[in-house]
Amino acid sequence: MTKARTFRGGTHPPGSKNLSSGCAIRRIPAPELVVVPLCQHLGAPSNPIVAKGDRVERGQEIGSQNGFISLPTHSPVNGTVSAVEDAPMPHRRTGPAVIIETESEDGGQVFEPWSDHTAHSPEELVERIRLAGVCGMGGASFPTYVKLSPPPGKCIDTLVINGVECEPYLTADHRLMLENPEDIKLGMEILAYCLGVDRYLVGIEENKPDAIELMEKKGCTVLPLKVRYPQGAEKQLIDAATGREVPAGGLPMDIGVVVQNVGTAVAVARAVRDGEPSLRRIVTVTGRGVASPGNYDTSVGTPFSVLIEASGGYTEDVERLISGGPMMGISLYTDEVPVTKGTSGVLALTSSEARDVSEGPCIRCGKCVDACPLRLTPNLIALAAENGRWDMAEEFGALNCMACGTCSYVCPSGRYLVHYIKKAQDAIRARGKES
Amino acid sequence: MSGPRRFELAMSPHVISNQTTRKIMFDVIIALLPALAAATWFFGPGAFLIVLVSTATAVMAEYLCLKFMKRPVSFALDGSAMVTGMLLAFNLPPGVPFWLPVLGSAFAIVVGKQAFGGLGHNIVNPALLGRAFLVASFPVLMTAGWTAPEQWRFGDSNVFDTHGIPAVEIAAVPQADAISGATPLNVLKQSFDLDGSAGIARQDGDLQEAGMLEERADAIRSALYSAATYENLLIGRRGGCLGETSVILLFVGGIYLVIRRVLELRLPLSYLGTVALFAWAFGGSGWFDGDPLFHVLSGGVVLGGIFMVSDMVTTPVTPKGRIIFGIGAGLITMVIRRWGGYPEGCSYSILLMNLTTPLIDRYTRPRIFGEVKDNG
Repeated sequence: MTKARTFRGGTHPPGSKNLSSGCAIRRIPAPELVVVPLCQHLGAPSNPIVAKGDRVERGQEIGSQNGFISLPTHSPVNGTVSAVEDAPMPHRRTGPAVIIETESEDGGQVFEPWSDHTAHSPEELVERIRLAGVCGMGGASFPTYVKLSPPPGKCIDTLVINGVECEPYLTADHRLMLENPEDIKLGMEILAYCLGVDRYLVGIEENKPDAIELMEKKGCTVLPLKVRYPQGAEKQLIDAATGREVPAGGLPMDIGVVVQNVGTAVAVARAVRDGEPSLRRIVTVTGRGVASPGNYDTSVGTPFSVLIEASGGYTEDVERLISGGPMMGISLYTDEVPVTKGTSGVLALTSSEARDVSEGPCIRCGKCVDACPLRLTPNLIALAAENGRWDMAEEFGALNCMACGTCSYVCPSGRYLVHYIKKAQDAIRARGKES
Repeated sequence: MSGPRRFELAMSPHVISNQTTRKIMFDVIIALLPALAAATWFFGPGAFLIVLVSTATAVMAEYLCLKFMKRPVSFALDGSAMVTGMLLAFNLPPGVPFWLPVLGSAFAIVVGKQAFGGLGHNIVNPALLGRAFLVASFPVLMTAGWTAPEQWRFGDSNVFDTHGIPAVEIAAVPQADAISGATPLNVLKQSFDLDGSAGIARQDGDLQEAGMLEERADAIRSALYSAATYENLLIGRRGGCLGETSVILLFVGGIYLVIRRVLELRLPLSYLGTVALFAWAFGGSGWFDGDPLFHVLSGGVVLGGIFMVSDMVTTPVTPKGRIIFGIGAGLITMVIRRWGGYPEGCSYSILLMNLTTPLIDRYTRPRIFGEVKDNG
């Protein structure tokens, strides 16, 4: 095994992964009613092409792609459309969704299965991945086919598969690597074939030695990484893997690298080999706020409440519900929101786990400056933002912030640094539009 | 469960490290305790009482300010006022009357800290501002309150009443009565004064007088730059401010802070490094023949380097800025020691550099990830 690599900065929140890392993935049958969001990806929502009362089949397209950065949406079940309407979403706002009464869950193969992807051209494969609605399953949900279509002139030489899973608590990618390494490997090979790269590797943190060992045994090149948050952030992963820095305001593509999550690789493998659109994902349901944490293989559109029930329900002292991990996840007021392609975890935290610190003044200790993986000065940006000095916030690089939360995590005064910086970003962007 | 469950919303991240401002402040207080023990050992219970009075006054002043400004009074117990009170006392001569720390501490908190908005908002180190206020207002008390180490235990039979410079070596200095100062740095300053007088005598053509004065200056310096002096300085047997006595115990506190990840090494190292380098280059009678060890061990630079140059609130947050700050403070300290009017320049150097902190921060921000770097 090669020496573990990493990036500069970052922090070490307690992993808390042992709550669920030993729980094998359990398949959850689709509930009676699935709420399929029409915008599970980054970009424009797909346009609904079914109406109330329509019968739909598993894998059938129910929303059509709407622009370049967009994707089609498919039905995860066989059933009848009971409504097309706005519903609460895990990103806290409401969004358009197709609500389907489930009848059964079989079928789903809507494209021709291609057992040998090398018999097809990269263009055909990218088109298949687009039609299958595959988007990044690590969190940002960027349409995968766009990442596979570099504009002419951009030369890609490295593909990094992201199995880092640096968010505390989450174990979905870990379990996926342990239980389905074959599909990850196939997906990785298809992605590398699409991009025409010879150099492809899987980045995994050292806290998952079993996954590193297994993936290596399956013949994958593994890049062992030190345990450090946010190692799984695209820029930090590329830095560790290649020593290259994604230019500020640029894309990994600009320096010849494409990063795809392990879950995405599996979705790609299924789309090509099995001819099945992206309909399912692995979700970790964890935290001390649920009775028995676990990892679940669920249909998109499954309400969080169903997963909570599968995990034995809430405990008495549950306080906070989060979609995603504890560092970047979004706190929700209700569990009646559906799983999307980007839902990596459902976190129920108790009062002893969730942050319960009131905000104090900045004592300029500089811990955020040392920890920021993008080498920003979070305390100074936050101070500028608090005082409405958007010009100064911009000068200090506020727009570079990826909101990883490292600064807020290390702040001894409990300052909501990410919040202030996000506020500055909104204000700077709004001002940019005005002028 | 009846009815839909509703959760309270919160901003991410949802977890936070267990480091808190209060813990940092109490770590600093713990780190100051060994030096407080040294102060008590060498200067007696009176010294301990001065620290106690100063600290209590700081907390009381903080409480009253917060109360008056209708802010949460719990801030008074966050430890930061205690640190200020302790540091102010550490910067006083051990023989001062008790009303002096009361006045200084109250000034430090009210004018140095709360007037600027309290914790995190003050521009200069409040304890040092309090000290500067006392030096300006009560110059005699602030420069004459020196006590010989261990005088309180041995009385007139004290063998250390030469303020850290070994008695034997002092006796060897011709006309030892010229040494009337009370701290090693005072004595050093006098040797420089003798050098000055020698220069004037030489100009007047009195070569014999000049030669004698120079000889005395050199004799004083060789008494200072001796292993016996170093030993006394390390242990703390010397005249000087309350808290700066024992270099070893100050370092013990510093190491504790490093282990607790409270002390960031760039500031103290660049500061002490600059002091040492400057002392070696310009501290002697010629070039590059000064005594770096004496300059680092004497006076308040170790106390200042560990506890005041690295005060979080008033020093830069950027890595490069911290090094610049340390170098700047080191230079000013040594310029004052070598050519200035005061024997010690530690506290003024830090106060002056504190004023440059916002500017340093602004122009030493690190290169943002992904900004103009060749990916060759």
